[in-house]
Amino acid sequence: MTALAAELRRIVGDAHVLARATELLVYRSDALPGLQRAPALAVFPGTRDELVAVVRALARAQAPFVARGAGTGLSGGALADGVTLLGLHRLKRILALDPVGRTATVEPGVVNAWLTRAAAPHGLHYAPDPSSQSACTIGGNVAENAGGPHCLKYGVTLDHVLRATVVLPDGEVVTLDRGDGDGEGGYDLLGAFIGSEGCFGVVADVTVRLTPDPERTITLLADFTSVRAAAAATSAIIAAGILPAALELMDGPTIEAVESSIYAAGYPRDAAAVLLAEVDGAAAGLEDDAAAVAAHCRAAGSRDVRMARDPAERARLWQGRKKAFGAMGRLAPHLVVQDAVVPRSQLPDLLDDIAAIGARHGVRVCNVFHAGDGNLHPNIPYDAHDADESARVHAAMGEIMRRCIAAGGTITGEHGVGLDKLPYMEALFTGDTLDAMCTLRDVFDPERRANPGKVVPVRACREWRASAAARA
Amino acid sequence: MARERRGARLMLRPATTAEVAGLVRESAATGCALRLRGAGTWLDAGHPVRADATLSLDRLRGVVQYRPDDLTITVEAGTTLAELDDATRAHGQWCPLLPWGDDAGTVGATLATATAGPFAARLGRPRELVLGLDCVDGRGRAIAAGGRVVKNVAGFDLVRAVTGSWGTLAVITRAHLRLRARPAADVTLALEAPPDAPTVEAFARGPYAPLACVPLSADDAAALRLGDARWLVRLGGNAAFVAAARGALEALGPCTEADPRAWDAVRTRLAPPPRALHWRWDELSRRLRAAFDPSRVLNRGLLGDPA
Repeated sequence: MTALAAELRRIVGDAHVLARATELLVYRSDALPGLQRAPALAVFPGTRDELVAVVRALARAQAPFVARGAGTGLSGGALADGVTLLGLHRLKRILALDPVGRTATVEPGVVNAWLTRAAAPHGLHYAPDPSSQSACTIGGNVAENAGGPHCLKYGVTLDHVLRATVVLPDGEVVTLDRGDGDGEGGYDLLGAFIGSEGCFGVVADVTVRLTPDPERTITLLADFTSVRAAAAATSAIIAAGILPAALELMDGPTIEAVESSIYAAGYPRDAAAVLLAEVDGAAAGLEDDAAAVAAHCRAAGSRDVRMARDPAERARLWQGRKKAFGAMGRLAPHLVVQDAVVPRSQLPDLLDDIAAIGARHGVRVCNVFHAGDGNLHPNIPYDAHDADESARVHAAMGEIMRRCIAAGGTITGEHGVGLDKLPYMEALFTGDTLDAMCTLRDVFDPERRANPGKVVPVRACREWRASAAARA
Repeated sequence: MARERRGARLMLRPATTAEVAGLVRESAATGCALRLRGAGTWLDAGHPVRADATLSLDRLRGVVQYRPDDLTITVEAGTTLAELDDATRAHGQWCPLLPWGDDAGTVGATLATATAGPFAARLGRPRELVLGLDCVDGRGRAIAAGGRVVKNVAGFDLVRAVTGSWGTLAVITRAHLRLRARPAADVTLALEAPPDAPTVEAFARGPYAPLACVPLSADDAAALRLGDARWLVRLGGNAAFVAAARGALEALGPCTEADPRAWDAVRTRLAPPPRALHWRWDELSRRLRAAFDPSRVLNRGLLGDPA
């Protein structure tokens, strides 16, 4: 390891390689504090040439590595368990911004919200808006195929990335695109790469589409006396074919956590649930869409539907939603959050079942999620030092996951599998499907050095098992 | 499973994914190259497929599961676009693939070729409308990729790898698709304005962005019986939006309401040449093909790969 550290220091300079355990402490976890793994070494290239040189040095040393953006992930995906952590936050330049073509090319460490800020003078923005957008990086967003509240209407990261320059784990630099260019065909290597959780290579730069700001936005807050009614309103809005820009549900415990924090948004504290709904687009006809959303909420039993009067109130309503995870830090030192997606017609029954599962295990479930997509985020605040409570929390989460899979859902809509959801992959996919995922990974990283041990359980890969058996 | 000889050629007609998997495994073991066939509209696409037998998806046909309230549908790969359209129309919904070509084509072929159409920019490309795929790769593995929910990042994205691979990585047998509500108001207008008019392009990029907006040559317009019109524009949304958008479009030149069936003619008449003609075989692409179909039993030669 010291030879590798010396080589990396030669490339990026002494200040940008960390090897002492105390210096590496802060890289032991991402935004899911319950999972911790310590890297052996951390390296932070400052230019694209340094990035390529670092990946090549790692390849020569046959060293596994884990790429990391801002560490805001919620799956333990950026944890480097005894291997080299490759931090990309110094690569933070916006390389090009074309307001006419509506594209931008950025380095991987550019923070999501910086890009929108840079595009704002041109009446444009970057549409995927994870709740961590003030800190998370575009490179991390690409690795995770990140979503966000407004992905309901505008689509996830996959839908906004046009091209990427990628350093493959063997050090080769390739350009990936969607393969659907005019007159020229190719496999959708870019689509396969997006969401590969750092297992296929490292983004050196990425070209994304910028979206015109809507002419008008109307934000509504509907207040309900039961979670079931709020979920029923969501299902009704979707079934009616209305496509809001965002449709977010927060339950009573979440409202209480937000309203008790510095992010207090003015949500009604006595409500069992609120729906935060937004419609946007051309001004013409927009009030009709807002009225239709409000009518469905009232029909489902909403006590009150109010409209944000001005941009300041809109920003406040959204801040409460986007900082809800942070606000839960007030309730307990640790937090687990799941990310299952279920068919939207089943939301009312599933939320009832989640409440029952929480009650049975004696844990406090808070729901704050992308209702319009059926993308649940049950959160359970807890104290990881309390062994009994931890066991109950994990048992409840496992039961919630199995319930969502049984409903025809998936285990993750936007956070990724990482380490956290590995145990559920075999419940969701067949052996042949997991085996094919390993095949896809091997196309990009035949030595399996990039983010080892993540996404697909090693035991699910037939050839890996075969080679392990041969070695034994 | 049906095996038929038509002339000298063997036609395989499996009825389930498991039968497809069995056939592909057998073919890989015996070196029997397979030509994949949906409705037969894309056969060869400029490069001859070197096949010993045809694997037809025509018996894998029909809607498997449709829950209108979820705006998702599961169909067998051999289902035609016309059948998909009929099934969803009854609920005021559609899967707006609307690719170049006609509705006799199959869902499987549309996804296999990732053929978009004039509505793709606004309503989604095939890669954005497909949520999951059941398929069989060239090793005979039955793969259930993706899922049936509208947002999903679980595992590596086999759906995107297979979509647009022209059947050279896997045989698509079933698809889970995203649906949309049909717009409440839906108007097709023929506009008299020069086909290179910057004002029309600005309109298409503005707040009244139409569902589709296609420039027409004089020959196209004559064939479509649209007289002096040089643009065909489709506006969709609620009534107030469409009325405002129509007003804005009428400011650019004389507009006449056209029969929406004109889009069917546009999709066949203006179809670009298939992308398979110019396929990029870089190192990663070669590795991808070799990894999923090492014996090259699937559509050998279609993308110009060496024999």
